[in-house]
Amino acid sequence: MEAYKRWTPAVHAAAYRVLDHPADLWLEVSGATLPQLFEHGLLALYDNLVALSTVRLTESRTVAAQGVTAALALRALLAEALFLVDTEGFLAGGARVTVEAGLPIAVRAELYGEPLDRERHELLAEVKAVTYHRLQAEAHPDGSWRAAVLLDV
Amino acid sequence: MCEMDTTLVRVDEFIWEIPPSGGMRVPGRIYADAALLDALGSDQSLSQVRNVAHLPGIRRYSLAMPDIHFGYGFPIGGVAAFGVDDGVVSPGGVGYDINCGVRLLATDLTRADVEGTMKRVVDQVFRDVPSGVGSHGAIHKLDRAELTRLVVQGAAWAVEHGFGHPRNLDHTESAGALHGADPDALSDRAFQRGLDQVGTLGSGNHFLEIQVVDEIFDPIAAGAFGLFEGQITLMVHCGSRGFGYQVCEDYLGVMAAAASRYGIELPDRQLACAPVTSPEAARYLAAMACAANYAWANRQMIMHLAEEALLRALSIGPKDLGLRLVYDVAHNIAKIEEHTHDGHTELLCVHRKGATRAFAPGHPELPAAYRDVGQPVLIPGDMGTASFVCKGTQAAMDQTFGSTCHGAGRVLSRAAAVKRSQGRSIERELAAVGVTVRSQGRKTLQEELPEAYKDVEEVVRVMDGAGISPRVARLRPLGVVKG
Repeated sequence: MEAYKRWTPAVHAAAYRVLDHPADLWLEVSGATLPQLFEHGLLALYDNLVALSTVRLTESRTVAAQGVTAALALRALLAEALFLVDTEGFLAGGARVTVEAGLPIAVRAELYGEPLDRERHELLAEVKAVTYHRLQAEAHPDGSWRAAVLLDV
Repeated sequence: MCEMDTTLVRVDEFIWEIPPSGGMRVPGRIYADAALLDALGSDQSLSQVRNVAHLPGIRRYSLAMPDIHFGYGFPIGGVAAFGVDDGVVSPGGVGYDINCGVRLLATDLTRADVEGTMKRVVDQVFRDVPSGVGSHGAIHKLDRAELTRLVVQGAAWAVEHGFGHPRNLDHTESAGALHGADPDALSDRAFQRGLDQVGTLGSGNHFLEIQVVDEIFDPIAAGAFGLFEGQITLMVHCGSRGFGYQVCEDYLGVMAAAASRYGIELPDRQLACAPVTSPEAARYLAAMACAANYAWANRQMIMHLAEEALLRALSIGPKDLGLRLVYDVAHNIAKIEEHTHDGHTELLCVHRKGATRAFAPGHPELPAAYRDVGQPVLIPGDMGTASFVCKGTQAAMDQTFGSTCHGAGRVLSRAAAVKRSQGRSIERELAAVGVTVRSQGRKTLQEELPEAYKDVEEVVRVMDGAGISPRVARLRPLGVVKG
């Protein structure tokens, strides 16, 4: 199990970058391990929704997803997190991710954060959907992962 | 496949053709002038036009409007019609924001009547029409039974609950409700996402504008639409919110499995589709109709909220304001329509993704008031420039399955727009050209920078020049509320 940590600006820089895309938000996510790839995917999602420094870690929610490939599991996980944003306004500022061995890849994330408070949270964008477009994830020989995912905004 | 060079053959001043090659069943056709084609640059949307031409049962052409840009699977600004017996339905041909569309409201006010009030008006609208990321709470949170009725009745549900007048329905495409909406085709998640968002604008490129009619190009059509120079109008651009996104998300998964089950070869996974005659397609169309109806109820409610806001801000009565619905159009939708082509008439499943219906004079679906001039076509531009009212024509029926463009279309990525906005106050720049703007999101104004979009004048000029949707009036923004 990966250690839980609050996402800080130093983590953001290593976690993902925004690729150039005319209409939407195209993210390249990196992780030293597969669980960290998923965690950084979540970070990238929330980092584009809200100024993460304004999110207090007072509550937790659990989301689970699976996919026959790492890319599909990542997409499904982000879609689960987005569903919580849309229905409960739940914003995360940190997460702990576990991945079960085997197929399909089953991922579970404990999200730490709080419900949206418009007085304190600076919202940055509305992510409509986590798309399948150009979705990919690949493992490197050293066990690290890199994925690309496009968010419809 | 996406990386292939696309050969373009010029047909006339405004039409370019991609001849069939490989598995293309029909040619691609792009409405554009040379400058707009150049602006496409490395954008992959032309490859997407070609990919759509591979789908079974496609009729005549895979079409692209001049505001074409890259979308998932189908390009945005694309139109494709499929036979109902041998063709397909694709959620990617509709898009995530099902029945994203535009509603235009006319008033009896003139520019002089609102002189010096725009800040007050914009502030009031901003307070009364929920906007921005995750906006909710326009009315009490609906329960599942109420939402079930809403998605079947569409705009009529809103009218029944006191938001607007029954006469509004006649001036809404499909009378504000698609038939065949079946709540049983919806997931629990769609319900959950929809309960609290009716009557909200959302964010991104969605907006509510207070505008002035600054030029009339076609006085007869403008007269029929009730528009005159110097008049104040309101334009609403939004869709089905999280409800529609969830329907698309749910059925992309269903259709990916269906396509392989039915042996449909796809050049791109996002073109996932199923035969129109299949149970999967029937369920998608039933769920899509629910989302379309949600969007019509949404815009109907926003119209009412905006009316109240204007009355309050200007301290006038409804008679002084004289607010009325000119028209409401969908620009992300699939519809079963009758069309005549190559000498015969048949039912087709017309996908319009970032394209506006543009039915000709005399079409039975048009309200009596517009039957002689053609359907009002509403084309929103960027927040600093202008929007257009155009009209549908027989040429549109003959060439584009009664369709035309839907807006300006982005040219700059959001990141590039934010970068270009650094050190500038977009709010002040807009104020300098007479536009008062308020936005919920810090980044929205930067991302929606006027120069992030194609020149809407040029887009509209192409469809005017091609005779598809001639210009009727130009509307300039005075006040803008963004999400």
